[in-house]
Amino acid sequence: MVAVTIITGICLVSVYISYVAFRKGFTKNADDYFVAGSSLGYFVLIFSLLASFLSAFSMFGMASFGYRLGYGSLYVLTANLVPLGFLWYFMHKKTFLLGRAGKWMSMGAPFGERYGTPMKIILVLVVLAASIPYLVAQIQGIGVMLEAMSEGLISFRMGLFFVPFFIALYLMMGGMKGAAWVNAIQGVFFSVMVFVLFFSVMMKNGGFLPTMDLVMAKHPTLFQLGWAGGKVWSYPMVFGMASAMCLGCVCFPQPYMHAYSSRSARGLKAMFLSFGGICLVVITLPTLVGIAGNVIVPGLKGVGADKIYGLVASATLPDWLAAFAVAGGFTAAMSTVNGLVFGNATNLSVDIVKTLRPETGSSELIGLARMFVAIIMALCVAIAWNPNTPVAELSIIAFGTVAVTFFALWGAYYWKRATATGAILSILVGVSLNAGFFFAGGKAMVLFPQASLFQLNGFLAAFIISGIVFFAGSLLTTPGKTETKSLKLFFHPILTQ
Amino acid sequence: MASNVKKKKNGLFLIVFLVLTVLCWCPIGYGSYGEVGLIVGMPSWAFILLLIGTVLFVIEWVYLFWTDLALYDEDLEEIMAALHATISQETIQEEN
Repeated sequence: MVAVTIITGICLVSVYISYVAFRKGFTKNADDYFVAGSSLGYFVLIFSLLASFLSAFSMFGMASFGYRLGYGSLYVLTANLVPLGFLWYFMHKKTFLLGRAGKWMSMGAPFGERYGTPMKIILVLVVLAASIPYLVAQIQGIGVMLEAMSEGLISFRMGLFFVPFFIALYLMMGGMKGAAWVNAIQGVFFSVMVFVLFFSVMMKNGGFLPTMDLVMAKHPTLFQLGWAGGKVWSYPMVFGMASAMCLGCVCFPQPYMHAYSSRSARGLKAMFLSFGGICLVVITLPTLVGIAGNVIVPGLKGVGADKIYGLVASATLPDWLAAFAVAGGFTAAMSTVNGLVFGNATNLSVDIVKTLRPETGSSELIGLARMFVAIIMALCVAIAWNPNTPVAELSIIAFGTVAVTFFALWGAYYWKRATATGAILSILVGVSLNAGFFFAGGKAMVLFPQASLFQLNGFLAAFIISGIVFFAGSLLTTPGKTETKSLKLFFHPILTQ
Repeated sequence: MASNVKKKKNGLFLIVFLVLTVLCWCPIGYGSYGEVGLIVGMPSWAFILLLIGTVLFVIEWVYLFWTDLALYDEDLEEIMAALHATISQETIQEEN
């Protein structure tokens, strides 16, 4: 009952914050609704971007990884994300500058301006197709968590309605500003709860060093690379996981939306820099909690290990505080849903509807975005209805599918010779390869090194081939009118000073 | 001359970023399979990984906030004016 009260409280506070944004008039025109009138300060930007990326996997999944696979898990979502500080800056500096000058509001804008309308529409559809399975997985996770936390009081299916209803409500009301405020508060909340849990877990056995000594004595392999005969945390496995997670993050809609929403260059830089730094701490802690969980709740196997975060919270914290700690992971899932649903609804209304019907007015555009929020959410709930639906498995290729847009974006900003044909082909080939690898070899082929792919995983193989196709396709074709015309703005001398 | 110096500094930072990125993505040079010694309760390679992550974070911070290579708010006005001028010029050309 405590947990249900906490979750309901979080949902109501989120709706209230969004209502405040709505009442204060922050959703009056399209610029306000989609990019918060480019007015977000760096504190909100930092925690909003963080929360919009970190899903329940970052808390519960990483604790489970730590429990089962040990220290090698640090290569999945911690230090490997620090390079995002410079990668995002180099890839999105022009998104910020050109976006502000050209009043861009969506992810498709740079692609449309540089390569033309077909590219913009393909991009929006690819990102939507990649996002839906990922969203379904998050919504299913919310349903499962809510059922477990309420001890069956709220069933899985009721949970599917309960939280997404609130999310849709506050996204529709508050727009980007409301979503960013909610994300920021949820981000601060789950970061604080991770610290609370970490210290309580480590104090259970007299501190970090004694706890790790106990784990080492019982499970020495958790402290090793290349265990299980070189299969677990081999160098190719580490490289494949680490690079895939990092490169995938570059191309999701969230950094675009936050770049457009930033009030200042300082805020933009602080947001990009802080993400990796905060992940280095905030995701390392649940991983270490999972490793320490081996001496607090020993013997969990398979799916059972996924519950380790909640189990160690119950074992080391008072009931009400344990409920808060688990609610932290819950808010992480909610904020990821916010970010992705809002990003896709913006893309659909601005990049598709506005492109096909240029006469669409500002208030009509906001109405359409609100409708798309409701449609995307309803669609995801419908797909998630069956808890065993295999579509959630597809979320594994979401990062790979979005990551193949990397070269088209890089070419748009840094390579004058890039052509629409090269960009479109690279995306289509990359997406097809990701899907092909998944259907041919399942999760394992996408995530783990394959002898047939020169020890690369499917993600990296698709990424590299998509890059080759981009360069070859661009060199073999000549830039059209749109590409040539766009050079004046995208390669303006002032941008290279 | 000044732009050449900037280019060289930028290149240097880029090389450092790329080297540290590879180290954040793979334990080349500091990891090994099997048993290893512990530093502060962690396997030595995990401790070094977190250290490399921290060093990369600090260098990124220096690059973004303490060099003349990154974008600053003081430059925004001039950049926006130049970009707006180009956009207006293009719009006029299109209308004609």
